[in-house]
Amino acid sequence: MDEFQEILQDFLVESFELIEQLDQDLVELESHPDDLDLLNRIFRVAHTVKGASSFLNFDVLTHLTHHMENILNLARHGDLVIDPDVMDVILESIDLMKALLVRIRDTGADSGLDVSGCVERLDAAASGNPIAAAVESTPEPEPEPVVEAEEEPDYAGMSDAEVEAEIERLLSQRQAEDAAKRAAKQTETAQEEPDYTGMSDAEVEAEIERLLAQRQAEDAAKRAAKKEESPASQPKAVPAPIPAAPAPKPEPKPEPKAAAAPVPKRSEAKEEGEGNRGGSTVEQTIRVDVKRLDHLMNLIGELVLGKNRLIKINDDVEERYEGEAFLEELNQVVSIVSLVTTDLQIAVMKTRMLPIGKVFNKFPRMIRDLSRELNKKIELEITGEETELDKSIVEEIGDPLVHIIRNSCDHGVETPETRLAAGKPETGTIQLKAYHEGNHIVIQIIDDGKGLDAGMLKAKSVEKGIITEKEADTMSEKEAFGLIFRPGFSTAAQVTSVSGRGVGMDVVKTNIEKLNGMIDIDSEVGKGTSMKLKIPLTLAIIQALLVGVQEEYYAIPLASVLETVRISKDEIYTVESRSVMRLRDEVLSLVHIGDIFEVERVFDNSEHAYVVVLGLAESKIGLIVDSLVGQEEIVIKSLGEYLKGIEGIAGATIRGDGGVTLIVDVAALMQMAKSVKSTVGQESPEAKGRGGVKTSASDYTVMIVDDSKTDRTIMRKALEPMGITLVEAVDGVEALNVLKQGEHAFDAMLIDIEMPRMDGYTLAGEIKKYNKYKQLPLIAVTSRSGKADRMRGVESGMVEYITKPYSPEYLMNVVKRNIKFNEGL
Amino acid sequence: MSEKLQQIINKQHKTLAGDDVKIDEVIQLVGFIVGDEEFSVPILSIQEIIKPITWTRVPQTPPYILGVFNLRGSVIPLIDLRSRFGLEMIKHTEETRFIVMKNGDDVAGFVIDRLTEAIRLPKKDVGPAPETISEEESLIDGVGKQADRIITILKVDKLLERNF
Repeated sequence: MDEFQEILQDFLVESFELIEQLDQDLVELESHPDDLDLLNRIFRVAHTVKGASSFLNFDVLTHLTHHMENILNLARHGDLVIDPDVMDVILESIDLMKALLVRIRDTGADSGLDVSGCVERLDAAASGNPIAAAVESTPEPEPEPVVEAEEEPDYAGMSDAEVEAEIERLLSQRQAEDAAKRAAKQTETAQEEPDYTGMSDAEVEAEIERLLAQRQAEDAAKRAAKKEESPASQPKAVPAPIPAAPAPKPEPKPEPKAAAAPVPKRSEAKEEGEGNRGGSTVEQTIRVDVKRLDHLMNLIGELVLGKNRLIKINDDVEERYEGEAFLEELNQVVSIVSLVTTDLQIAVMKTRMLPIGKVFNKFPRMIRDLSRELNKKIELEITGEETELDKSIVEEIGDPLVHIIRNSCDHGVETPETRLAAGKPETGTIQLKAYHEGNHIVIQIIDDGKGLDAGMLKAKSVEKGIITEKEADTMSEKEAFGLIFRPGFSTAAQVTSVSGRGVGMDVVKTNIEKLNGMIDIDSEVGKGTSMKLKIPLTLAIIQALLVGVQEEYYAIPLASVLETVRISKDEIYTVESRSVMRLRDEVLSLVHIGDIFEVERVFDNSEHAYVVVLGLAESKIGLIVDSLVGQEEIVIKSLGEYLKGIEGIAGATIRGDGGVTLIVDVAALMQMAKSVKSTVGQESPEAKGRGGVKTSASDYTVMIVDDSKTDRTIMRKALEPMGITLVEAVDGVEALNVLKQGEHAFDAMLIDIEMPRMDGYTLAGEIKKYNKYKQLPLIAVTSRSGKADRMRGVESGMVEYITKPYSPEYLMNVVKRNIKFNEGL
Repeated sequence: MSEKLQQIINKQHKTLAGDDVKIDEVIQLVGFIVGDEEFSVPILSIQEIIKPITWTRVPQTPPYILGVFNLRGSVIPLIDLRSRFGLEMIKHTEETRFIVMKNGDDVAGFVIDRLTEAIRLPKKDVGPAPETISEEESLIDGVGKQADRIITILKVDKLLERNF
């Protein structure tokens, strides 16, 4: 039983591998119907699966594959033209085959699926082309026996001589097989999957002999068939093999166990032979349980941590014992260990790498089905399918790509008529590219369809209540493209089976974010859309940027870091109570890491800040940090059951000094940034305390800005009785400078409007750009009393508008009210 | 003389008999002080006891979770028991220790003020938790009485349970 299980496992693994290739081959076949190599390859898959399944007693599967084999066989010999309709049937049968294999994998049996309908259609397709077959009368029956001689002879339609030849052939074949089997017995694995590279010379010779004998027998049969061929048997020949096959089958294979085993062997031998002719060699591979690789990766992770620590210690030792002889030696050892560790890490990572072709393979088929379903003409161009990336990522990337490609087919590429009308070629093209870019792999999906219309996307989102009109107005084109990833968004006017249900693209975003990847959309109306997915190569060990805030450190996955910039605090502006900065031609919203992670800000004196520009999927944000520490290789560790699921924290890592550093979850951080109350640029609690807790009247400070000395004096006289501190400035520029120096914490400002250099409105506007002065009451004191002036004052951020002349009491009351003057002091 | 001897023998006998009882029904605890009270946990639930080392604060957690620390390559949460019991946190002293407790796969370090001793307590001396304790009721397994002192026995599984 165990042996059977083992064989079954091998069978399943092999079959699934074959099928993966099959889909692609079939679609290719449709465009090159006369590619014999391709046909042969497809035929062999059906044949191999049939052979193995009959051996394993999966009757339903055998039945189905047998009929598939038949139809492919006809095509292989040019008796059947593969047109889209025939292809549909073949594809259907392959889907059924897949379903059967899955069932076998899950339940161990192939029962429960009805294949008869599909088999009927296969037969109909096989015989449904009698005209094409009859036109060339001679080749019709001729190739039949050839193929059959090889795989499944048509005994019913044979003459005596043919039967004799056939028996002879089978005998010699059996002998050859026996010889091969005997040879194969010496090596355990040869029974199921002959590993030619691993065979001894004697074994190879036996195999060659066997193949030769087989070839001779085939030739003999072919000659016999040619001689005996009669026109009368022609019409019957086509459908004959199908009903006839089940009966004669036991004849050549009386004991399925003995006879069936070599079947896959034979086809593989051919495959290999062809491969050799093509100049490629069979790769030496070994199947390894993924768990073992994962374990290996974990161990490497520990080693990397050890290495980091060693380097740190080495640095410390170097400092302390500078110039000592043993240092040199220590240095060497540390460098070697670090070098080998890095190499080892790369090597192990490579063992986990799979070509992305594994994922790409299913798309030609998908595009084909979709284009038929949608009545569009779409061509798929794949490049870079050999690009490799980590297995875990390969598994995750499939779904997002499916969604994107479906989307491109449905929404991107137009119908042939529309395309022609727009002066484009009738057939739309979707390009699927994969390539490396630094530590990332980039997957690009480009279509030449109608492109994304930013205006339309906004309108639709507003209509669906995804964004407000106000948001729509301030949105850049790129941000508008990002709308397609919002849940509940679909631009398809009608819900088709392909898309329009409003799920899908948000899945893309979630999955890509899970992989710490980024999405970049470029689109031009009428020209097409390009979607770029940037994904890190591996997940367990990552490069991280270490940043400091106060006395804490955080690690940010470098994959999400676009750039870092150093800015002065003046460059931080406030738009709708959000902090933003200008980054080249973009407006970047900012958030302080301290606000996200509730870091107590004890000191906050620097005039400068570092902004780490983070990009994830299609969104960007600037994270303000106190310091940049550097780049380090980190190993992600979980925080454990007790602390799991903490918002904004992806895990922890152990640093070279043995301390723990938390890893930022960039996706969560971006979410949190939306709701965090920004304190960017605001005074630290200490500073706030200075301005907040007033112990005496002189703790209140008010600035008087007026170009006329008389006016300043009048104001001073009016306010002096309060005992508050007064600071004067002669114009807007000076006032701004006094404010920036930060020597005083002002509680209010009295501002004249008419001033040289900088007038009151401009000054107010400038002041309000600073977050920390947002709450500072600005009081206009002016002789301009028009309504328009008042409006302008309010617009620029003034809270009160006092018209000259005024009584000293009035001024005092206004100031008192605005600085919340405590009379008790 | 013989009477006295007999008495001694009797006494020894008694003690021995008492010992037999103890072997069957004794629980071994590690006692420690948090605030003014002595607490204890079963010795088998303790992985190790270490002197304070540096830890890293973890945001978005209740104040009693100090953060995480590195225990020979594992990242382990650190919980301040004073704060957990609603007492004011104090500066760590020479006697402060981290007790690393485990329950199955759950592991966490707990900050305590100081260790007292390993305690062997007959089961019969352990009473149920007083009913008046409502909020922290779930944390207390029982109360042990020994000579002139009362020792609160904590439930390790409850301590290691995330409650936020």
